[in-house]
Amino acid sequence: MADDLMVDPETLRERVRDKYREVAADPHRTFHFHTGRPLAARLGYEQAAVDALPDRAVESFAGVGNPFSIRRLQPGERVVDVGSGAGFDSLIAAGQVGDSGHVVGVDMTPEMLKKSRATAAALGFAHVEFREGLAEQLPVEDGWADAVIANGVINLCADKHAVFEEIRRALRPGGWLQFADIANGRPVPPEALRDIDLWTG
Amino acid sequence: MLEDVGFVDVQIGPATDTFGGAAGEEKARAYEVYGYAFVARRPG
Repeated sequence: MADDLMVDPETLRERVRDKYREVAADPHRTFHFHTGRPLAARLGYEQAAVDALPDRAVESFAGVGNPFSIRRLQPGERVVDVGSGAGFDSLIAAGQVGDSGHVVGVDMTPEMLKKSRATAAALGFAHVEFREGLAEQLPVEDGWADAVIANGVINLCADKHAVFEEIRRALRPGGWLQFADIANGRPVPPEALRDIDLWTG
Repeated sequence: MLEDVGFVDVQIGPATDTFGGAAGEEKARAYEVYGYAFVARRPG
């Protein structure tokens, strides 16, 4: 582990996989965060776009903000969704870029990948695919993406600098990073930052 | 950090009460944790 990281990256990944495995399998139980359609409404997603998606595409949504609120994706854009989960933001992105665009969702949790792939297939979305991978090692070519989105994912990565470097590699020159994440207004004590249990809840 | 990595034109949206009414609200309030949208651009 690099000296400047507060927690071990692989240990944190295991904890995150465990948590989001539960969100995929049992989205209606109580978590420390909101989920599903009520969360999408709270975060200001376009109601019509959410209504157009089946429950299985929305029920495991566990984002922390709206990555489309400042900039809407443009038709034809190629998009990478980092930490795509059950696919909610990837499918919203697919609607914005249209059939001439392409969306690659990337996630490290097998249960989430299985769910998102099944939903995209059921919807007949040929311009959306989901690949297994890490935020620090995105499975796309250099400069492939016009835009990279993420929602509540980067705060769960131990080495945020490495994640931003990797996103920069995946973007074409002039491409857009648009993401949602949490930030704290009061400093968190160093001992709490080293407590890996607090990272996921 | 975004600018350190070489991104430009960084924008931050308004705070969203992400955890209000959720089980994690108390911890979120303790550290004033809110959700934000961010946009940045890789220089062309």
